[in-house]
Amino acid sequence: MMGGDSSQAFLRDAFEAFYRSHPVELPDRFTRREFAFLMFGGKGMLRHLGFERREQFQDFLEERAPQHAYYSSAYYQAPSAPKMQDKKWMGAELIFDLDSDHLPGAEKMTYVESLAVVKREFQKLVEEFLLGDLGFSEKYVSLYFSGGRGYHCHVKDPTILDLDSSERRELVDYITARDLQDSLIFHERVTARRSYGTQEFASGTSLQMPSPQEAGWKGRISRGIIEIVEEITRSDSPMEKLKEYGVKEKDAERLVQELSEERVRRIRGGMLDQSKAIRKFFLNSALRKTAVSLSAGETDEPVTCDVKRLIRLPGSLHGKTGLRVVPIAIDALERFDPLRDAVVLPDTPVRIQIPSELSVRMKDESFTFSPGEHEVPLFLAAFFLGRKQATLQEPNP
Amino acid sequence: MRELPTLARYPFLADTRQYIKDHGPAITDLLHDLLYERARLTSIERLDNALSDSDVGERSLATDADCIMEILSYPLARMVTVCISDPYFQRRYALGEAYHTYKYLLTEPTSFLSAVAKELGLSVHYTPETRLRLFFKDYLRYAPTTYKEWKMVNREVAGGYIALSHKDLARVVQETLRARINTELSGRPCDEDVNRIFMEDIRRLQTILQQRQRRQDAVPVGKLHPEHLPPCMTDLLAATQAGENVPHMGRFALVAFLNSLKLSPTDILKLFSTAPDFEEEKSRYQIDHITGATSSTSYKCPGCDKMRTYGICPTEKMDGLCRRTRHPLNYYSAKWRQEKKQ
Ligand code: SF4
Repeated sequence: MMGGDSSQAFLRDAFEAFYRSHPVELPDRFTRREFAFLMFGGKGMLRHLGFERREQFQDFLEERAPQHAYYSSAYYQAPSAPKMQDKKWMGAELIFDLDSDHLPGAEKMTYVESLAVVKREFQKLVEEFLLGDLGFSEKYVSLYFSGGRGYHCHVKDPTILDLDSSERRELVDYITARDLQDSLIFHERVTARRSYGTQEFASGTSLQMPSPQEAGWKGRISRGIIEIVEEITRSDSPMEKLKEYGVKEKDAERLVQELSEERVRRIRGGMLDQSKAIRKFFLNSALRKTAVSLSAGETDEPVTCDVKRLIRLPGSLHGKTGLRVVPIAIDALERFDPLRDAVVLPDTPVRIQIPSELSVRMKDESFTFSPGEHEVPLFLAAFFLGRKQATLQEPNP
Repeated sequence: MRELPTLARYPFLADTRQYIKDHGPAITDLLHDLLYERARLTSIERLDNALSDSDVGERSLATDADCIMEILSYPLARMVTVCISDPYFQRRYALGEAYHTYKYLLTEPTSFLSAVAKELGLSVHYTPETRLRLFFKDYLRYAPTTYKEWKMVNREVAGGYIALSHKDLARVVQETLRARINTELSGRPCDEDVNRIFMEDIRRLQTILQQRQRRQDAVPVGKLHPEHLPPCMTDLLAATQAGENVPHMGRFALVAFLNSLKLSPTDILKLFSTAPDFEEEKSRYQIDHITGATSSTSYKCPGCDKMRTYGICPTEKMDGLCRRTRHPLNYYSAKWRQEKKQ
């Protein structure tokens, strides 16, 4: 692409200026961490770096102005040893990485839409699971916007730093509801008996849902099912609602027919003695609604299970957006708008070439550009250049 | 201080250690004095039982003397285990003690169980009015979550604690104790005096172990050569055979690995069947699934990187060949070639 190199050089300068005036706070026990960087125009990752003093690190950022900065969620005795096994692992934060890349249908969404969907997943993770079921204290749970397409959560509760990979995997299974057994959740209840002579038989059974107040997945599934029932019955067009849930036209018709008032009443009362199709639909939808969808790393394995993982450094800039990896207070998550709250580069005017129409809302202002040359604030230029949606306009000779 | 029979049933408790310190004989007397011959015999009985039934066995605790001999047999059994110096045996012994404790704990009041759990470092909440609850971190570490019904997702989790039945907590205590005995005994040096006194039994048990090993080698299991296995697979196989709670991924990697060596599901099953808690049907199901006998895909054994990611590459045991290979299967075939050259 034309101007690719100059775009990179431009971004690098912008990053350098930013880092010179905005020192990046280091993670706790930073001397125990490995650092890694990708450089503008560089090939491959600069890894296995350790910093002994804060100034060293700040100097590095200012001088090298990396495109991407990472640190190890793990603590090591020798973080800069070039071989993993020589680093001597001491423990690692528990990391959750939610990214829009893996979300079903994310390709069809805009950047902003997909971030909104990821945020909903992220809220579930934090509120329902980390603070809820697992009972982590808020002081150990730090949330960050990733600067790119998602959110990161770092849990630093000292009691869990030494969890190994398979123990973390079990937590992931919990949060994603993997291997949930419905037979352990719903149980049959005998509702009628009939006797023949001296023998008594169960002549009617019904599938009982757990009470919505129950702990763990039992209550959660019930709450999910009841919510879905309410949503469908309250909706003006239940058919449309069902289709949103991914039910096919024909099945939806049948479901609406079968969901008589009587049945809805029974479900609210905790009876799931519905036809198999209805039962399956509710269970699956409730699962999808309440479980968290996690991103997978290179190994197809959620990042959480990797105890030696590099993760984007809070406070650093993301090279593909110019946005900052900013912390988000738990109670501010709902209101958090990445294209407002993570925009940190200045608004100095910059001339760029835009090949096809672009529109974006940034810093609470809407921008729409027709193809051609435009003068835009630097933060916007960085966002477009980083995402390769524009090129730098070379000054006329 | 707890009652003497309680100390005898739970010889790993701090109270019991204190009792031995306060009232027990000096170590030389324990080893040589005729007075303690019975404790010495009982210690060997513990080991024999652990090997044959994975339970160190029950003896009468009717009199004070019964109890004292039982108490003293515990440290002796541990010392002899160290001198037998066989990793499989040590695991087996640890399981035997732990299972023995489990059986006793089932019959105790829940308050006692919860006190024992706490002494072993588990965070347990219990009052007669509330349900037993265990901190999730301890649950993750010691509950056999490879079984579906033990997975956290199928349990009641709230505020960081998991509700458990008496029986389930006893099982978690069993795992905790097993792990603890294993760590305590690993890397301990054999006491020369113990080695001399128990020489005969040590030799005898070592011979039994060798014979078992040989018999196992003789089992026509495909073309498996245990001496060519990489450290990761040696560990996984040993743990599986000793009936330990191998993480899901470990089991998966091991089965996929063996399958790649052209071992049939039946061969693999045979290899696993030495596990004391071996459940044929469950294992069969898992093996068939991984090898593709029941699913359309047969899974591949993960490479070294992935093994490390899952924490099932014992990095401290990696050897030169490990450093040159990137896949456990390559290690195995490289070992073959090395051997042929020699
Ligand atoms: S380096 Fe590879 S072959 Fe060696 S122990 Fe680790 S996983 Fe196994």
